[in-house]
Amino acid sequence: MSRVDNPAVDNPAVDNTASGALDGVLDPAPSPGAPRIRGLRRLRAWPWSLRVGLFGVLAVVLVLLATPWSAPFDPALQDLSNRLAPPSGAHWLGTDQLGRDVMSRLMWGGRFSVTIAAITLTISAVFGTLLGIVCARSKGVLDEFVMRVSDVLLAFPEMIVAMFLVSILGAGYGTLILALAVAGWTPFARLARALTLEINSRDFIEAAESLGFSRTFIILRHLLPNAFSPLLAHASVRFGHTLITVGALSFLGLGVAPPDSDWGSMLADGLPYMSRAAGLVIYPGLAIFLTALAVTLTGRGINVRPGRQGRG
Amino acid sequence: MIFLLRRFVVLLCTLASVSFLVFLIPYLTPGDPARKILQARTGELNLDPSAVEAARVRYGLDKPVIEQYWNWGQNALHGDLGLSYTSRTQVSDLVGSALAVTTSLAVAALFIALVAALPLGSLAAIRRGKASDIAITTVTQGFVALPEYWVAPMLVLVFALKLGILPSAGWTGPASMILPAVTLSLRPLSYFTQVTRASMVDVLESPHLTAARSRGLSFAQAMLRHGLRNGLLPVVTLFSIWLAGLLGGSVVIEVIFAVPGMGRLLYQAVTDGDVPVIQAGIVCIVALTVLITTLTDLLYALINPTVRSSNVSR
Repeated sequence: MSRVDNPAVDNPAVDNTASGALDGVLDPAPSPGAPRIRGLRRLRAWPWSLRVGLFGVLAVVLVLLATPWSAPFDPALQDLSNRLAPPSGAHWLGTDQLGRDVMSRLMWGGRFSVTIAAITLTISAVFGTLLGIVCARSKGVLDEFVMRVSDVLLAFPEMIVAMFLVSILGAGYGTLILALAVAGWTPFARLARALTLEINSRDFIEAAESLGFSRTFIILRHLLPNAFSPLLAHASVRFGHTLITVGALSFLGLGVAPPDSDWGSMLADGLPYMSRAAGLVIYPGLAIFLTALAVTLTGRGINVRPGRQGRG
Repeated sequence: MIFLLRRFVVLLCTLASVSFLVFLIPYLTPGDPARKILQARTGELNLDPSAVEAARVRYGLDKPVIEQYWNWGQNALHGDLGLSYTSRTQVSDLVGSALAVTTSLAVAALFIALVAALPLGSLAAIRRGKASDIAITTVTQGFVALPEYWVAPMLVLVFALKLGILPSAGWTGPASMILPAVTLSLRPLSYFTQVTRASMVDVLESPHLTAARSRGLSFAQAMLRHGLRNGLLPVVTLFSIWLAGLLGGSVVIEVIFAVPGMGRLLYQAVTDGDVPVIQAGIVCIVALTVLITTLTDLLYALINPTVRSSNVSR
């Protein structure tokens, strides 16, 4: 039977019938476009956490994207005659110990922090999700092995993994991303595995199997779309955590290193001057906190969106 | 029994793989291990080749890798973890005292978290949907997004620099413990509150509490006799999991507050390239983490037999 010519593949009605069996937790494989518009219309029905969180995330992303054009100063421009200056008309958030503009440095530093956290999380989420789904679909030895490995990895505190890798590879972006991704995939693999096992027991998977669709097709067309929303919620909550950990490693000098700087390393640089210019410590930390808070709120909002039951 | 055996095998495998990985550190880094040991000790870059050879023989670095691992592992099991490259003291002494400090800090932090979270979570559950519930839930959930390396300087700024009532750093007495413990307690506090709230909501809706109330017990009596025990059990099991997590998770706090614990010891060792300390520190932390989580699981299986059966069938 030719899969390409099968009318059922392109016929959304098949998915819709199948989705009748779902009870809120799982979405049907989305027919493109439609649910999103419906979701926007119901913007007022969204929980406040989702609205506030998304607004915050968008604001941060826009500011960081526009930084090359909108940052008032070159972040590396030193002005030693104007060190540790309080906020003023020219320097909205004051200057640091080398007379550099704190606001410009915050904007540029944020690009590092957020990008590294996003890259790490994307790698962990994609790898973990695929592995989890494959494990749940194949079961047996592979499943057992991967789950035991994740048991072992979960025993490692993240900072210890990072320090272990730094002691071997030396500090740097690669080490930083690797260190966080090494253990970062495990929660995604477990969640994706649990979701897959749940979805697997549903009628439309059996229907697809009896129609003769390949394993890859079923994973891509039915499993991933159904597992997407809970995974996205989990990813958002993890993002806040990852952002904080990236900052912690940079704070310790194990992550982003001079001449680059991110929020964590800015905070560490400001510590000796805290009693004279508290802003050097307050602003980078506040930036991490607010960004992490916005993303976490978004994640919680996705979980409690109408028509969905919260999970984990 | 199968469950017990299974956990035990996982525990052994974890320890074996971790210790082997950690043992390999000097071989995975570029350069000659014997040279690196001497350099770390003397600080000289141009070493006498005969001295390097002597060090190679003295530290057993001329033997095959597996044999070295065997010797190293045997010594480690007997409590001999070697000498620190930099301070030349017994690594086991360093790790032992650091471990005691970190454990007391972690226990203090979790105690603070528990003392705050139990009433907060219960209150939120009792007043479910009301303003106080929403306030408690929102604020404690926000704690998760707080970077501890920001909270710590803020607390120092207020309580040490402005008010001058608490020391800003060091490990000199109970007073110096307050700020690090409070900083460290915020994240567990958040999770404890959420779990307490969720399980108390379940308890409040449970039939046996309604039955107790219908027998004429007041709300407080019913809660004390029938509610709290069931409601708090999940929180107590969380306690030990967090204890394990904090043993390796307090690095930043210890560095900021100059607490002589495991985190700071390990951080110092990584920056100085003090391999024996890195090896011993990582093995100790992972071993303790695995041990604590395994014990927790066992305890939980004893209390709740359904866990046992579901794990066996998996």
